[in-house]
Amino acid sequence: MKKILFLLSLVVVVATSCSKQNATPTAPVNEIVDTATSNLKYSGVFMNGNEGTVKGTANIYLNDGKYQLQLKDFSVTNGPDLHVYLSKETQPINFVDLGKLKSTNGNQVYDIPGTPDFSEYKFALVHCQQYDVLFGKSQLQQ
Amino acid sequence: MIMNKRILILIVMFAGFINSFAQQQQLPANNQFVDLTATVGKDQGAVAASYVYNWQLGQKRKFEIGIGGRFTSYFGTKKDFLTAPAKLARSTTFPFIIVFAGQQEKNFDTLTVQRPFVNAVNFTANLGYHLSSRWYGGFNIDVIGFTFGKKTNAVFTSNGVTVTEPVAKPAAFNVLLTGDNDYGSLNSEFFLKYDLNQRWSIRGVYQFLFAEYKTTTVKQIAPDGTSNDRFRNKANNFGVGVSYKIK
Repeated sequence: MKKILFLLSLVVVVATSCSKQNATPTAPVNEIVDTATSNLKYSGVFMNGNEGTVKGTANIYLNDGKYQLQLKDFSVTNGPDLHVYLSKETQPINFVDLGKLKSTNGNQVYDIPGTPDFSEYKFALVHCQQYDVLFGKSQLQQ
Repeated sequence: MIMNKRILILIVMFAGFINSFAQQQQLPANNQFVDLTATVGKDQGAVAASYVYNWQLGQKRKFEIGIGGRFTSYFGTKKDFLTAPAKLARSTTFPFIIVFAGQQEKNFDTLTVQRPFVNAVNFTANLGYHLSSRWYGGFNIDVIGFTFGKKTNAVFTSNGVTVTEPVAKPAAFNVLLTGDNDYGSLNSEFFLKYDLNQRWSIRGVYQFLFAEYKTTTVKQIAPDGTSNDRFRNKANNFGVGVSYKIK
């Protein structure tokens, strides 16, 4: 009977440890924006959020009616479940989720769905979604 | 003489009846046990402890029906909870028929609860059947009870617009009303049990579990203008358990 209770305990432990830690990849990414066909519309330097340190620049490019966000010379402290947002606020309440952060280092490009109003969505954020913690913010300006 | 024969026949019949009744009485009339169960699914899991009191029916006492109580703890990571109210989620809210009714996906919004953790205490209804001397199959379902749990942050998504819900909390009351008419967090299990000895059994379990969270600051506005703060996750889990027979 001890074996059965042990097995049951094992299942519980496995179940509780199955939750993803969701750490961001650290291998540098080097994606580029075609500056010959894209126009730089907005830009801002990253500043530290409530957790960790961040460096780099957020650039918004417009190419053939579609917006892209570039994180240039970017680095950030690693954390769980880091996402890239376009947000109306520095602590995100109303935001567009551009997906998970591809890497903690390098040059990265994210497609922006639709045509957000950048007079409202004026912040690019790196945000830990799972624990609601801000890692970095960049105010986008023309 | 004729009268004596009749009396004799009546006595024999009565004795036979008493004898058969006595044999039935020798078979157990009820079955009481406690279960411990652990289940897992995609990015989620649950543990449950329950007490079961079943009445045994039929000549061979193979069929069981009963009641009980269960504590279920459900937990997960980044789980999507969809629009819960039946009038938004299904094409009809008629009891039982709702189970087969079409989904109103145009009304579905999503609350992604980052770290759901729900504890539910419910009365249960149970059914079971002794398949053989050692094998037993059964079904149980939560009927009514209450829930407590941890508040957590969530992301509400409606038509591509994402909004942070800083405080999502488990729905407090649970009641079984069939299908999406249900309220709160309700656990149900199909299981197969194997008796190791007179007291201990092991169980293989398929679990279907409703967990419900409510928003506090963000509300869904459905296409018909209905405001909604209830969101439901339907978990399909598999697991194992042990059962200890009290009587």
